[in-house]
Amino acid sequence: MSRRAIYFALAIAAVGALPWLMTTPYWRGILVICAMNVLLALGLNLVLGYTGQLNLGQSAFFGIGAYVTTILVKTYHWNFWLAALAAVAFAGVIGLALAAFAVRLRGHYLAIASLGFAVITYQILVNWESVTEGVRGIYGIMPPVGSTVGLFYLIAGIAVLVYWLMDNLVRSPVGDTLRAIREDEVSAASLGVRSYVWKAFAFSVGSGVGALAGVFYPGFVGTLVPDAFNIIESFTMMAMVIVGGMGTMIGPVIGAVVLTFLPELLRGFGELRLMIYGLALTLVVLFMPGGIVQLVKRK
Amino acid sequence: MYLGCLYVMVALGLTLIYGVLNQINFAHADFVTVGAFAAFFTVTRFATKTLGLPDAGAYLVSLVVALGVGALLGLAINAAVFAPLRERGDELRPLIATIGVSVLLENAQLALFGPIPYQFDSPFARETIRIGRIFFTGQSVLVVAVSAVSIAALYAFMRYTFLGKALRAVAQDRETAGLMGINPGLLIGLTIVIASALAGMAGALLGPVLVLTPFAGASVVVKAFAIVIIGGFGNMQGTIIAGILVGIIEAFTVQYLGSGLIDLVVFVLLLAMLVVRPTGIIAERKEENV
Repeated sequence: MSRRAIYFALAIAAVGALPWLMTTPYWRGILVICAMNVLLALGLNLVLGYTGQLNLGQSAFFGIGAYVTTILVKTYHWNFWLAALAAVAFAGVIGLALAAFAVRLRGHYLAIASLGFAVITYQILVNWESVTEGVRGIYGIMPPVGSTVGLFYLIAGIAVLVYWLMDNLVRSPVGDTLRAIREDEVSAASLGVRSYVWKAFAFSVGSGVGALAGVFYPGFVGTLVPDAFNIIESFTMMAMVIVGGMGTMIGPVIGAVVLTFLPELLRGFGELRLMIYGLALTLVVLFMPGGIVQLVKRK
Repeated sequence: MYLGCLYVMVALGLTLIYGVLNQINFAHADFVTVGAFAAFFTVTRFATKTLGLPDAGAYLVSLVVALGVGALLGLAINAAVFAPLRERGDELRPLIATIGVSVLLENAQLALFGPIPYQFDSPFARETIRIGRIFFTGQSVLVVAVSAVSIAALYAFMRYTFLGKALRAVAQDRETAGLMGINPGLLIGLTIVIASALAGMAGALLGPVLVLTPFAGASVVVKAFAIVIIGGFGNMQGTIIAGILVGIIEAFTVQYLGSGLIDLVVFVLLLAMLVVRPTGIIAERKEENV
């Protein structure tokens, strides 16, 4: 077996063992959230880490995944998996549409355009009450699998699958292309890379993966309110990618795990979750630009 | 409508920082909120009780305090974030760092002040002034007056003083300006301090208008971003026009569509602007090396 295969086997074993190491319902719930965060961070990393585009709209795609699935299931009585597929495809298309004009924008403009997109999506969720129920929220949403452990296995399994697919993607010539765009778009273009096609592609895939995480969120929580998809959530997802180490595959996973569990372990200090995110984000950017992964690699 | 003037004050800070540093400060929102809180505590705890000032005097003092607090915060963020990251020449990292600072500041304030809105009464809000058939509250007149004076002062400073000229030089070409004996680091610091001081004072003016919570500034700055884009990044005239425009659009939205849709309308406008004319209403010619 190659080293990669061994790592994957180890990861799958770890995922399998985790719910039996953390047996209380509370910690198992955290595990589910952690798996969702890993998915979100993976999706964002493709855009932020590999293509170097600052997408602050990931919370919106997370929300689109959650709302589209729930509405299709509850109002139109679709099958959950069919609805999930539709939601991911829908988010991918929206991501593509946003990217279609976002590729013309660089750096700061894209950051603000995607922020604007997140604000608009949030406002639509709040104001389009006939469909989304607005701030009143949607209640009594059933998860696709009954038990928390089952749900964890499902989401974590999908996360491992997505990781594997993305790992292959970034090792392929496509990955080189994306990195070339990140490092120097003009040079990449002069070598015949159609940068806008690939940027849009990364954007779309990233949004689709974000929506995939959103698909499972409402069933897990049981209710759906717009506040879960506030812009601040885009910032926390970004913090996971940066703290872990953007532009590496394992970095965002580590970041998501650390930033999900750290606030839980420090819960005694009150509502400090977001302060920790802010502090971690600032300190890592200032003193450890490669994230946690950088520390490990240096040794 | 007078909110437009405040948006201009906040947006001018953003556009100034962008013009000179080529950076966006996402923590700008929190400078506004911190300014508002500084003014609130000056009025309620300090000026009226310790100094025994009358209400109106206390409020005016609090404006100055907010200005100072904003300036100090600007100094701090320059020293902590912008200055150390400037050498590395990365455009994404400072942006991300300011998001981190913003999240940190917002939640630090949440921990300190709690989520319950503060009642910030301005003595000027109670008085009304009548001009012809239209009534204004004293507060709105004060807002317009203070922001008009500070915007005009800033504009004159940039246009006519030697320092302003030097700032514009740094904005155009940092290296060449450095060769001409200008200290870019110092001027960049000055820019951030001016921008933050403006944001702080805007916060003090906004305090009595908005509900004062740790997140009050965010709603304003989100609009300031829209204004900066609509006006064109780094373009002062464009920003002023766009700010007043957004103020008017907002007033009409409230009138005809309901206040819940303000952000939606403003941001649809922003996205439309990015599609149609990303350079802003007054286009600035910029050379692009391809």
